[in-house]
Amino acid sequence: MKKQKLVYTTFIKSTPKKTWDAITKPEFTRQYWAGLANVSDWKKGAKWEHITKKNEVWVLGKVVECTPAKRLVLTWADPDQLKDVSRVTFEIEKVEDLVGLTVTHDNFKAGSKMAGKVSWGWPRVLSSLKSFLETGEGLNIFAGC
Amino acid sequence: MQKSTFMYVTYIRTTPEKLWAALTQPEFTRQYFFNTTQESEWKPGASWKMKAPDGSTTDGGEVIEIDPPNRLVLKWRHELKPELHAEGYSHMTYLIEKAGTAVKLTVTHEMDKAGSKLIEGVGHGWPTILASLKSLLETGQPLEETRQWKGGCKGE
Repeated sequence: MKKQKLVYTTFIKSTPKKTWDAITKPEFTRQYWAGLANVSDWKKGAKWEHITKKNEVWVLGKVVECTPAKRLVLTWADPDQLKDVSRVTFEIEKVEDLVGLTVTHDNFKAGSKMAGKVSWGWPRVLSSLKSFLETGEGLNIFAGC
Repeated sequence: MQKSTFMYVTYIRTTPEKLWAALTQPEFTRQYFFNTTQESEWKPGASWKMKAPDGSTTDGGEVIEIDPPNRLVLKWRHELKPELHAEGYSHMTYLIEKAGTAVKLTVTHEMDKAGSKLIEGVGHGWPTILASLKSLLETGQPLEETRQWKGGCKGE
């Protein structure tokens, strides 16, 4: 069987530092990522959590690799399905006056439900992130999540 | 049968009508699609051509399905590079749907052939083109990298 792997690349008129901050700082993620915050001290081995305004944890995991403004690798699991853990890699690259951002979500367990959910989510999140960085405003496209 | 497929979804703060115009009209495509234009009468069975700034045809085919501002299906063959031309026709679909305060654009480009070099090539091009299209519609400015013709399909 072919392994599931989701890769999404976008190009943003921004800098690697601003893009990194938009992914790792709760005050920014709340503005474009369905109102959720990414919370961690972003050190290798530290835990990270994706939490709602009501402090519900939607996704959690560990920081596997962290090179600010370049590369962030996380494990990713639903708190109710901790064994269904997968991996997310953010790669930030400067391309002339742009940022190329590639998100790869892979290492899904056999029979994982997560691949389906995140293939719905990543194009929304990353489209909204680009809008946020370029216009100051994320997209309101998360109804039903 | 084995296929090569590239699919990309983006969400843009705009209307389906504005997105449709940006996908089909030369004054918009020149800005985000490497200074190319598309020529067609935009009706079923009409011929379709993509033109480089020097007037040469880079890609050609015909309109298979057209339902403005919702759906466009093109038969699409590359014309400049012999090895890509030899692969014959691919199919490219734009699907436009409303999503909250934005519009969802799904681009599907496929060929009935495993390991297509054309699909590999457009797989490098589409994310850049669609990122620039989104910037153009949301900010009024495309991404600088997509304003100039660069000799076509990268990635070979």
